[in-house]
Amino acid sequence: MEILVILLVVAALIGFVVVLYNRLVRLRNAYRNAFAQIDVQLKRRHDLIPNLVEAVKGYMTHERETLEAVTEARANAERMREQARGAIGDPAAMARLGQAEGALGSVLGRLFALSEAYPDLKASTNFMQFQEELTSTENRVAYARQAYNDAAMDYNNAVESVPSNLIARQFGFEPVGMLEFEDRETIQEAPEVSFR
Amino acid sequence: MATFDFRAAQESARRASILLVIGFGLMVLVIGGAIGFLVAAFLGAPSEAPAGGLAVDPALAGGIALAVIVGITAVALIRVAMLGNDGAKVARTLGGDEVTEDATNPYHRRFMNIVQEMSIAAGLPPPRAFVIRNEKGINAFAAGGDPSRAAVGVTHGALAKLNREELSGVIAHEIAHIAHRDTRLNTRLMGMVFGLVVLYWIGRVLMRSFFFTRRRRDNRGAMPAMALALGFIVLGSLGVLGGRILQAAVSRRREALADAGGVQFTRNPRGLANALKKIGATADGSRVGNPHAEEARHLFFAEAAGGLAGLFATHPPLVERIKALEPTFDPETDPIWRMDERAILRDARAELRIGPWERVQ
Repeated sequence: MEILVILLVVAALIGFVVVLYNRLVRLRNAYRNAFAQIDVQLKRRHDLIPNLVEAVKGYMTHERETLEAVTEARANAERMREQARGAIGDPAAMARLGQAEGALGSVLGRLFALSEAYPDLKASTNFMQFQEELTSTENRVAYARQAYNDAAMDYNNAVESVPSNLIARQFGFEPVGMLEFEDRETIQEAPEVSFR
Repeated sequence: MATFDFRAAQESARRASILLVIGFGLMVLVIGGAIGFLVAAFLGAPSEAPAGGLAVDPALAGGIALAVIVGITAVALIRVAMLGNDGAKVARTLGGDEVTEDATNPYHRRFMNIVQEMSIAAGLPPPRAFVIRNEKGINAFAAGGDPSRAAVGVTHGALAKLNREELSGVIAHEIAHIAHRDTRLNTRLMGMVFGLVVLYWIGRVLMRSFFFTRRRRDNRGAMPAMALALGFIVLGSLGVLGGRILQAAVSRRREALADAGGVQFTRNPRGLANALKKIGATADGSRVGNPHAEEARHLFFAEAAGGLAGLFATHPPLVERIKALEPTFDPETDPIWRMDERAILRDARAELRIGPWERVQ
């Protein structure tokens, strides 16, 4: 009789741990999946920029420095993206990626502000198309980032709150970093500010 | 920034939808029961009837009622299967042309981009995108049984008259329909109404055949049989009428829910509110001239075929929808509601930085 009770208690405990573990795994997969979506959109953003620089180079003859800064910021952001992909959720990697994307956003904003001085450039179809594509990409990144942060928050809540926190550390579930872009306002406003 | 409580709106609309679907089921039950009673009374009449009364065998009435209910449900299911789950098929029926990822027209590019953005916001696979050419009204629709086979479409007028923010609001509303599985619910309701239409048809056929038999030999059963056929016709058409009213009521609730869902995706009630205002501001409004638009009224963003109001309207009134998003809205003073057509076209192309010579293809 006593053995039966002990067995039942042990089985219930194991069942409890299994349920908690599975929940953590599900939440971890959700935020990783959400990060994959941001990754796709950031890649799209980075792929657009060399074409943009190529298109404006002929017109913006006096802005060599700015163009170089854009290229450099883009290369840096691309490097951070590669790194972050290898360490999804690592708070330091997320912060560095956010910083690099923020820097890229603000230097792009500067480029668009400068383009005001080049009427020929502003009138070119190519440039207008870039504006629409960049606006869309910024929006996609923003929506994907929102989805990632929501998923990361759900996961963090599970890792840090009772009772799942009791097993989270044992099985290697660590809290993950949110993705905040330092220069978020500039990024989202960039095309608007420059063209109004 | 969003003063609009989208979660509460979604919850209340969902509850109302469930009640209305139950109402539809009850109506089918009542009609089935009435027919069972009618048929049993008709069959039991000649021999067992006490003077001046009707003899009704409850088992017979129940059996027939069950058969009618199963029959209506079966017809409805077959109709749902025929309507299909393929959103692209519906879009083509409505005169839509598919827009692909490599489109170059600036209006089409913006539309494609917004569809992608909103599907990311909703966490759904991007639906296929369609444009209905030659429609000047501002309207849009969503179709397809499940998100993987969904399609969204917009009219030419919506692309030409809405700016980026407004078009985003409209597409978010349509994507919300897909996310809430409204397109599937609507297909089912269309199937149920069709089941009742078939009941009416059977009454018509019975009526005609009794006319023929009476001509050949003088049948005593002809009069009650006529009454029976008439009963089918009356119950069938009452059912269709009630079905249409319920269908419209469900649609109105789901539209309110999709407005809320759209705001959840964009976190911006202004775009959607301004799009609705532009419908109110333009002469063509949200009209869709395609002959198939009438039967697909409940799929559209706003009322596609005019002239129907009150119980039969598939959408809440424009002003009511705008007020839900923007409580301070006043049609008398609102600048967008009073915008003229030319200013609207200029506003829509301003962000694309293209001249009036560039047309939506």
